[in-house]
Amino acid sequence: MHDSIHPHHITFVGTPNCGKTTLFNALTGLHQKVGNFPGITVEPVIGKIQIQHSTVHLIDLPGIYSFLPKSVDEQLSVDIIHNKISDLPKTEYIVAVLDGSSLEKSLFLFSFIAELGLPTIAVLTMVDEIKARNGILDDITLETILGVPVIPVVGKKGIGLQDLRDSLHQTDKFLVPNTIVQASANIEQRHTAVREIISQVLTIREDKITEKLDSFILHPIGGPVIFLIVLGLFFQSIFTWAEPLMSGIESLFSYTQDYLRSTLPDSLLRDFITDGVIAGVGSVIVFLPQIILLNIIIVFLEDCGYLSRAAFLIDRIMGIFGLQGRSFIPLLGSYACAIPGIMSARIIPSEKDRMATIMIAPLMTCSARLPVYTLLIAACIPSIIVGGIFSLQAIVLAGLYFLAAISGLCIALVFKKTLFRGATLPFLLEFPPYRVPSLPSLLIIVWNRSKEFIKNAGSIILLFSIILWALTEFPKAEIPTGMTSLQAERIQLEQSYAGTIGKTLQPIFQPLGFDWKLTIGVIGSFAAREVFVSVMGQLYSADVSDSDAQLRTILQQTIPFATAISVMLFYVYALQCISTIAIIKKETGSWKWSMIAFAYTFMLAYSTALIGYNLVKLI
Amino acid sequence: MIPLTTLAVGTRAAIASFSSNNEFTERLQEMGLTRGTEFTLVRKAPFNGPIELSFGSVRLAVRTTQSDSIMVVPVL
Repeated sequence: MHDSIHPHHITFVGTPNCGKTTLFNALTGLHQKVGNFPGITVEPVIGKIQIQHSTVHLIDLPGIYSFLPKSVDEQLSVDIIHNKISDLPKTEYIVAVLDGSSLEKSLFLFSFIAELGLPTIAVLTMVDEIKARNGILDDITLETILGVPVIPVVGKKGIGLQDLRDSLHQTDKFLVPNTIVQASANIEQRHTAVREIISQVLTIREDKITEKLDSFILHPIGGPVIFLIVLGLFFQSIFTWAEPLMSGIESLFSYTQDYLRSTLPDSLLRDFITDGVIAGVGSVIVFLPQIILLNIIIVFLEDCGYLSRAAFLIDRIMGIFGLQGRSFIPLLGSYACAIPGIMSARIIPSEKDRMATIMIAPLMTCSARLPVYTLLIAACIPSIIVGGIFSLQAIVLAGLYFLAAISGLCIALVFKKTLFRGATLPFLLEFPPYRVPSLPSLLIIVWNRSKEFIKNAGSIILLFSIILWALTEFPKAEIPTGMTSLQAERIQLEQSYAGTIGKTLQPIFQPLGFDWKLTIGVIGSFAAREVFVSVMGQLYSADVSDSDAQLRTILQQTIPFATAISVMLFYVYALQCISTIAIIKKETGSWKWSMIAFAYTFMLAYSTALIGYNLVKLI
Repeated sequence: MIPLTTLAVGTRAAIASFSSNNEFTERLQEMGLTRGTEFTLVRKAPFNGPIELSFGSVRLAVRTTQSDSIMVVPVL
């Protein structure tokens, strides 16, 4: 029995898709902490379990194939095992997770683990799959050969978990493995040794179910059709299911603002609380429905085995632009919102492909651009029918979406040819067997990611929101008596720092045809694109709370056609979203990439608007 | 001995050699596709996309453009 006061640390090592995370989540539940390593896609997780009176710390590492890392993620796992990461506990005890349905890969990794000479327990997962395939695994013989206890479990159903839990806090159960390969064996020799072991312990039939399903899901015609249906559902669900939740959150926050405004005495503190803090917190929380929904869908698709098949089908097309099949999901997600889109780029194992995908994700037409487009299109594009059936307004809107997608993909190619040249990780897609995902494990992963978003990106978004609030609130303008509140808002905005900045920067935007009001609108919506509508409303003292009709009429009279085109082209490219800038920092681990993304999108936005403005004026 | 990329769908073959040694070929071998290992070319993705290989309980897809260094011997 382990009776020391210090909790001991047990490191979980296994191949990708071996069921390690499901097992880990089943053991620790919500008692986990996600390690924060910038630029790492799958993060090590530290969990705690309490058995009788002793606490045991468990560390779940990203899956690896060997101790010869080929990506930053794998490098981190191997470094942690070799105690090269100073802020993590030393590797003391190991749980080697062996996937019974794919034993050769698992034992190949075990041949490296055995060389560490550390006390180890082997856990055998997917034993239900072996049974389903009429297989027999002799775990007693395996135990003898490996020299460590072998505990069969089915993480999803909790079978064998109690056994494992009992063993985890008895350090004397952990044994140093036998030597299964000669010292400094090469890859081939290791596989030869492993195959010899397997021939003694396992008989298994081919996985007919997966084969059968693949013949439909990867069918030359049926496959792409299923792919399009899945994408359609994916797209539809983040748009339509998240939408009501998001507007619910927005109205809850605006109700709270109104309530506090009417109950608290009129003061600067009140404005700070309602318009600064509460609005800022609201702008963080509002992303949660999409983040949660997108993550549920992605983790589900990944765990059931579909994601790598979808990547297989779309890889050729993404390859034209220097990306890979898996880039498709984050880019599609970014059409709803770049925040969850960029977060989901973690499914791309190759670091360079992932970076290129993150850098172009902000160009995908997110839903926040839509209010800007619809306002300007309704105001400035004549509502006429061209070619008999097409509405000119609809053509312009579709054109803006199309322009963004094509430019984004071409820019990805430029990035892949320059900054992210070559692939750090060789392109290789593994098709795991189809499995029913474990719901509790899925929820734990989604919970961790949402928590992480609030903690890391949320604080930056909140800070930026407060700064931008201050820029529009100060210095306080003199409001003459007898003004309506709409007029008062306009005067305040004009005389605020934001107004001054807009007026000062106006000469820069002059060539694009922006007057000072539009310039303030563009600067003001640096926080978030949809703010453009309310800023324009304030500048023209138009009430935008019910519908944009009043503002639309004003804009129609004041904004020339060429300028409207110019503004829309600017919004196609410009990264006017502090939340996206914050999430790029979070996901890449550096402000550098946020700045590069901001700079290149600004230059694109500016030059395209400039060209568009002058072209339209010529015609 | 023929290049993997010229193999037809449904054919069984054994790995003969890797003409270049890089992270990609090393990873393939780590996953069990060592010299002499028999596999089946299960399918090809549309438009000359990746190809799926199956051996043991492993199914994996590789890009044709990256696989020209892999030489195979068809198994009759």
